[in-house]
Amino acid sequence: MQTSHARLDLDAAFGHGHGHVLVTGATGLLGADLVRRWTKSGMARRIAVLVRDRVRWDATARRLALPHDAVVALEGDVTREGLGLAHDARTWLAGHATAMVHLAADTTFSRPLDQARLVNRDGTAHVLALAADCPHVARVAYVSTAFVAGRRTGLIAESADGAATEQIGWVNAYEQSKAEAEALVRTARRDWVILRSSTIACDDTSGVVSQRNAVHQALRMFHDGLAAMIPGVPSSVLDVVPTDYVADAIARLALRRDLDGATVQLCAGAGAMPLGELLDECYARWATDATWRRRRIALPSQGDLETWEMFAQAVEETAHPRLRRVTRALAHFLPQLALPKHFDTARADTLLGAAAPPVREYWGRMIDHLQQTDWRGVPGLAEVAA
Amino acid sequence: MDARRLVIDGKRGAPAACIRGIAYAYASESRTVRDLAASGSLESEPATLEAFGFDRVHVAVEETPYDLALSAATRLLDEQRTDPATVGLLVYAGTPSAMAFASAADAAAGAASLCTADRFRYPVTRLQHELGLESAAVIALDQLACTTLFGAIRVARAMMASEGVERALCVACEFYPAQAGREAVYNCTSDAACALLLDASDDADARNRIVGATTISKGYYWDPEAMREEVIASYFPTAVHAIHRTLCDAGWRPEDVDWVIPHNVSTRSWEVLLRLARLPNAKLWARNIARRGHALSGDNFINLRDAIDEGDLRPGQRALLFAYGYGAHWTALAVEA
Repeated sequence: MQTSHARLDLDAAFGHGHGHVLVTGATGLLGADLVRRWTKSGMARRIAVLVRDRVRWDATARRLALPHDAVVALEGDVTREGLGLAHDARTWLAGHATAMVHLAADTTFSRPLDQARLVNRDGTAHVLALAADCPHVARVAYVSTAFVAGRRTGLIAESADGAATEQIGWVNAYEQSKAEAEALVRTARRDWVILRSSTIACDDTSGVVSQRNAVHQALRMFHDGLAAMIPGVPSSVLDVVPTDYVADAIARLALRRDLDGATVQLCAGAGAMPLGELLDECYARWATDATWRRRRIALPSQGDLETWEMFAQAVEETAHPRLRRVTRALAHFLPQLALPKHFDTARADTLLGAAAPPVREYWGRMIDHLQQTDWRGVPGLAEVAA
Repeated sequence: MDARRLVIDGKRGAPAACIRGIAYAYASESRTVRDLAASGSLESEPATLEAFGFDRVHVAVEETPYDLALSAATRLLDEQRTDPATVGLLVYAGTPSAMAFASAADAAAGAASLCTADRFRYPVTRLQHELGLESAAVIALDQLACTTLFGAIRVARAMMASEGVERALCVACEFYPAQAGREAVYNCTSDAACALLLDASDDADARNRIVGATTISKGYYWDPEAMREEVIASYFPTAVHAIHRTLCDAGWRPEDVDWVIPHNVSTRSWEVLLRLARLPNAKLWARNIARRGHALSGDNFINLRDAIDEGDLRPGQRALLFAYGYGAHWTALAVEA
């Protein structure tokens, strides 16, 4: 199967796009890329974006070099009833919107559940309610996370069954609130499509990282010798994807007519990288720096989830505020590594005609990029502890 | 396996050695963790340290480090009915020069004497004289913290190989600095000395044969107070590495280990380390952590003796000793009891 991305097929992609498509989260990493792709592919003047901060949106539009008037910007906020839209904006959407693509999310893993729900679950409920008030809307696409799988292990299905339940549990509130949002989407209407993204690692296979997240934070902790152990078992893999793969997939699938009621997993799947190999690659790259090599920082020990929890508890009980904060920061993400899972991507691969690029294809370049940019934007110990 | 072709810290070719005897001496006074907290000697809450396994420690008041070192060594030679003239090497490790002769209450005077000609009054030569070790070469070791006795054994085994030494006496005594309180990174410290008698021996039936050893020193962590977080983070993975290298040296699998003989640090950290090291059958001989606390000068060997005396570690069983020393050293020893 090819790993290069096929050219955007507008006829297929815009099956529901003859009117206006409302996009939420357009200033985010994926949302902005999606809008850029669509405007460059003939969708200009058919996109409306929900923006909380007009100034931020203007900056995003400039960065994306969007043509003037290419996009209708509507001020609002997904956490508010009716998305906080003005009456005339709601009226306009009711007359023009034929689809909604909901990307807005709070992706901070460390949020308490009630706060995570505000954007991720309740925000989705508000989008669904608005869609119900727009008679021409024939598609609601929800961009979710593959990690709605939570503490599930093994093969994660490209369906509702892939999401964890209360009984199975989740690693963090982000995962749970996204799973709850998925459930709302599935029950609200029949014309939904759910696109589950894996964790974004870098922009594309060049390894450039524009937006840092928990993966990069964890890597910096390893690099700086602040991670004593990593939860993981021999079969653990890290499933990550580049932004361009996910954005391209959303652009091509979100509005396709034949996907009503489909869940699609935009994950590395079989191309995920074994944890041991991934760490070896990191350390081999870092060791090319003589200063780093002289520190002789040990590879973090791998232990099962129970060991990790014992370790985290021991750190919690001790009076090292800085190390405690570092461990807490990692605890919102790392336990996933001890819950080995493999994401089924059969449907995504078929629809897109290609699998996501294998992680090992760009992992090393990403590590080099982070190092070369001196971990810009990735907090070190001092910043985490501040 | 050729008993005389064993491994010293990864280097083949050294003669086998066995630990013929162990003796120790603790300071006569003791305090509970609660006592220490009440006297302002702890950084952590006493409940935290109790949760980590500590209850009581020995605290030197009148004794000097040298007093305890002499007491432990004298007891060892008596118990082993050893003719002092048969000892070919004395390795003293721990409290340096004139500091060794100052009582804990007068440590500042001891430290000041390091700036005078008193610094040439050496505990190692005084021990040689007072124990009657007329044939013994003498060496002193410093800066190995809690791995000091492991370092002494390493030197002794090397000299058995290079100079034909047949018997070595290794003595370690270290007091936690009086002005530093009684806590070292969540561990309650005791003042004690420990002495080992080491014989070069190719007798496969000898007791307490040393069959594997590893020492890893990482100079990057030389300033432990400034690098507290990094030190704690590096502790576990490097410890696992040292343990696995030692098992490899000994030709053991992790499941072959019967007992882990610890240095007396937090039981919580031991629980994590044993799981990370994947020692499925190993039992941690942790009895002394509560009743003795952490002696910088030789917990593992004090525990080894007590585990044997109390009938837990039986002949033929396999014991793994591991210690970490601030500054920073990770060391492990594989011993066939």
